[in-house]
Amino acid sequence: MHISSRRSFLKVGATALASGLLPSLFAPSANAAKIDIARLVKGKIDYTVAKATPTICFGCTNHCGVIGWVQDGRVRKIEGNPLDPNSQGNYCSKAQGMISYTYYPERLLYPLKRVGARGAGKWKRVSWDEALDEVASKLRPLREQGIPEEFVFHYGRDKTKGYTKRFTNAFGTPHRLNRRSICSSNRRAPLMSYYGRDFEWETQDFENTKYVVNFGANPMEAYQGGLYMMHRLRESQNTKGTKMVTFEVRPSATASVSEEYHPVMPGTDGAVAFAMIHVILRENLHDEKFWNRWANYSLVELRKLVKDYTPAWAEKHSGVPAKDIERIAIDFAQAAPACTTMSNRGSAKHYNGVQSDRAIRMLDVLVGNVGKPGGFCLSSGSGWSGKYGQEGLPKLTQPGPKPKGPKPWGIGEGFNEVAFKKLPQKIQDRVNNFPDKWKNKYFGELATPSEYPLAWHWYQMRVGQLVYPYIRDGLQKVSVYMSFTLGAAYGYPEAKVARDVLMDEKLIPYHVAIDIGYGEQAALADLILPEATSLERWDHHSTNCYGLIPYTGVRQPLVKAAGESKSVQEILRDLAKKVGGGMEKYFDIDDIEEFYKEWYKNLPISWEEFKRRGIWQDATRPKDYELYERPLTAEELEGTVVKDGLIKKDTSKGIKTVGIMMDGKPVRGFPTPTRRIQVYDEVWPEAAKAVGLSMDDVNASPIAIYDTVPEHKDLADDRYIFSTFKWNVHTQGRSAHWKYNSEIIHTNPVFMHPSTGAKLNLKEGDSVRLSVFRPKGATYRSGEKGIVGSFENHVRFLKGMHEKVMMCSHHVGHTEHGVVARAETEKSAPAVGIETDESAFPSDKLLKKGVWWSKKKGGIGGGVHINDALPINPCPLTGGQNWYDNVCKIEKI
Amino acid sequence: MTEKLKLPWERVGSEYKATKKKVGMLLDLDRCVGCHSCSVSCKTEHEVPLGAFRMRVRYLERPDKPTIAFAPMMCMHCEDAPCLDACGNNAIARMDDGRVIIRENKCDLDRDCVKACPYGAIFINEEKEVAEKCDFCVHRTEVGLEPACADSCPSQAIQFGDLADPNDPISLKIKAKGAKPWKESAGTKPSVFYIGHEEWMEEKVNTGVQIDPKDEDITYEQNNLKNL
Repeated sequence: MHISSRRSFLKVGATALASGLLPSLFAPSANAAKIDIARLVKGKIDYTVAKATPTICFGCTNHCGVIGWVQDGRVRKIEGNPLDPNSQGNYCSKAQGMISYTYYPERLLYPLKRVGARGAGKWKRVSWDEALDEVASKLRPLREQGIPEEFVFHYGRDKTKGYTKRFTNAFGTPHRLNRRSICSSNRRAPLMSYYGRDFEWETQDFENTKYVVNFGANPMEAYQGGLYMMHRLRESQNTKGTKMVTFEVRPSATASVSEEYHPVMPGTDGAVAFAMIHVILRENLHDEKFWNRWANYSLVELRKLVKDYTPAWAEKHSGVPAKDIERIAIDFAQAAPACTTMSNRGSAKHYNGVQSDRAIRMLDVLVGNVGKPGGFCLSSGSGWSGKYGQEGLPKLTQPGPKPKGPKPWGIGEGFNEVAFKKLPQKIQDRVNNFPDKWKNKYFGELATPSEYPLAWHWYQMRVGQLVYPYIRDGLQKVSVYMSFTLGAAYGYPEAKVARDVLMDEKLIPYHVAIDIGYGEQAALADLILPEATSLERWDHHSTNCYGLIPYTGVRQPLVKAAGESKSVQEILRDLAKKVGGGMEKYFDIDDIEEFYKEWYKNLPISWEEFKRRGIWQDATRPKDYELYERPLTAEELEGTVVKDGLIKKDTSKGIKTVGIMMDGKPVRGFPTPTRRIQVYDEVWPEAAKAVGLSMDDVNASPIAIYDTVPEHKDLADDRYIFSTFKWNVHTQGRSAHWKYNSEIIHTNPVFMHPSTGAKLNLKEGDSVRLSVFRPKGATYRSGEKGIVGSFENHVRFLKGMHEKVMMCSHHVGHTEHGVVARAETEKSAPAVGIETDESAFPSDKLLKKGVWWSKKKGGIGGGVHINDALPINPCPLTGGQNWYDNVCKIEKI
Repeated sequence: MTEKLKLPWERVGSEYKATKKKVGMLLDLDRCVGCHSCSVSCKTEHEVPLGAFRMRVRYLERPDKPTIAFAPMMCMHCEDAPCLDACGNNAIARMDDGRVIIRENKCDLDRDCVKACPYGAIFINEEKEVAEKCDFCVHRTEVGLEPACADSCPSQAIQFGDLADPNDPISLKIKAKGAKPWKESAGTKPSVFYIGHEEWMEEKVNTGVQIDPKDEDITYEQNNLKNL
């Protein structure tokens, strides 16, 4: 819902209408018949009686403030919360998906225990007591024997903001694994290298920008923060003449609504960015004052670096015409500081993606738009612990007592020597040779893989796609494996490896899955614990605000959890109590609401008022512009010393750098070790050296450079690049069972340019077999002959495609997740023992007969699973999955 | 003591009221991003069975550029509504504010309206055994809320307004931008107007990009429900 002034609501004072009675009960109609409006609206939501409660959406990674309308005990509709400064009352199709998954007939409602072989799909319902007793009986001995690390917790999406960590820390295991490398570590690492740990995500000022150069981000469909960007960009484009240029490989919604779209050869975004830098320097359109003040690299050196990165050179690599690069570079620089870059997986998910993103980031520094109105801004968002830019805000922290984390693994006092010594000697040697800053952060190969120090140098991003190969290779013994809303068995690259390991009872003796739906991951568990959905539970929410003023929100339950499902907070609390041994003292949380109330106790409004509004922001604060120029306050300066121009403070946690002297004045600077923007960062060669990566590798350079993706060099004429993408109605691998969303997108044909099709003698609709080869470069199973995997699919032509690219969307091709995701008919029964709740969709009796796109009804079915064919391909040093480098061949069948 | 300021959603039921004399809608294709929020919001609002849409977004490959245009399609609430004339049962009626509605209790499923509509906006809800289409969300507008699609649009491409009021935002915008109905040639005088509408789009609306070439797609004609 939008604020009334923006729309055409009419406020008519407080004329209360009788509840449920509509104002114009009978209206005369043109064709002389009386229209009985009460009859007309029968069965619809009655907004005069439905209860509206604000909460936070969980349809994707944005987490918009929303309003849920509840009537007769059911959530009937989701709308936007106009108080949310990010979404401003806007929302998208995925918000309604929460209703689809909450009332999905095949939702998990009871704890289930496997009764057949693992993976055979036979289950029996058990009580919570029985279920948790069983898990506790497996967990307790690990703590008693001093091997808590043999408990591995692995999540797909965890928005509890530290609650699951409370559990793993209390237990004593460092293994709280995630999927960040699958998603975004290659674009976070360059940002943190440039701007510091607090800025792993940028916050462009789209409300005021005039010119946007977008390298492969897709905010109109599927980007973290996408919805917040979308409505601001569309407003700026339509009312302020803002121009957006997009480099992409397919005509995405973002490319389509950009003023300019340039198909670009995958993996060459960095070349385009460098050519733009070349032009801006050649034309002297850079902001020399800003660069010299804040960048830690000399312009003279930069000019040398980009001398040969000419537009003509970039055209050769990227296919983008040199004259267009020239023009875009000039237009971008002339719009400064109200101009900004944006980038995401399109530029970053490549072997050279880290350096491409560092080159793109350099463009902003060069034109001096960083932190300026309309420019590339930085606003710290996650957590409210007084981080950079959050000074003066009430501190919001998870209530105590909070357990300490486990000891780092290594040799010496304060280290876990026992676990460390179980590692292969080669790995022990590597870690022993690490600098101290990394030794203190090392927690074994699953949490902190030693081959990828930049996956955990800033914080633990980890390398999710290597978890299963590492378990298979014996790098970590696992006794209890707990997956939480994770879809690795479906969605990880070479997902078959994940499934093989999950099927192997020697490698994974016990697998307990916490989830809301029966997906491919839960199907391979021994015990399933049903979780409450986002419409049924609490969460703390804070994220970076595109209005550049920090805010916080709360997810609250709108309805009682269905069946016997429980929130993850309750599940882990109850489990901790059963495990005991001291763990229970961190989980003395009788009432989950009280726990959250305590979390927000420092807000200047009451808990009731906060729940009523769903969002809190101090809108009177100045926007987060140029935070780095803010003078340090007297209080901040107290007890500091100046050393080499840096302002240092002795704190309980050691010496901290808190600012920098600029023109003789102490200012805050950036939260990097140098307090400047680290265009140049020694951490890259340092990490390369530590793991033995060649210094000639593109990833080893302290300053951004360009080098072609290894397997794209000398690409044969009959080889193509296979890439993937997300549709706007879906989110990750977790939405294929949302009926209304999947009705719109339930297949994933191979998109290609018509001329590519003609070259391959293909017609639209023809079936093909697409096979993907192993990558080259310094990565997992690099250069091995033979194919990773193949799939069969049919062809769809689209003339906006890059001619060298084949593309399928993911999300679809599920083997589990029930009737909608599997595109089945009434004849396909769910897994044995899983009760279906047919009353879940009272309005949709037809769903019982399956979906119209089911193959048995003559439809196309639910799409093709592609993830088995995609190689595990971690980027050197950061471990980010290089999703978009895949060299493939295509055969007509 | 002053009354606590009500939040927007707390005013529903007491402070908002239907006031429009002639309802209409403005779809701005220069703002649409093809996100399907409108159609999914509509389907959730009305619990529309799978296999049919009251509103649907089409993806149309541009002839001049290598990109895609997006076009939400819906009932046009025509002034000269062929469906209304075709219905032999008096089930289709026009409300005072100009909208065209189907009275489910009077529908005898003879499908004349489905055939008569030049926009393919009417379908048979086999579950309820009635013809169904967009009614501009009578149950929402009666309490002063906007239709679900307009509320849900995150790029402000859908605006609901009063065509009888020359100062209504949509009247002003229709005039300023020269907004036109879809398929004006059908001559049915729609109450729905488009900004950024181009003629080639009308031809392509049945073969949009998101329609899989091998899918038995529920098309513009909305007739595939026979399969269910």
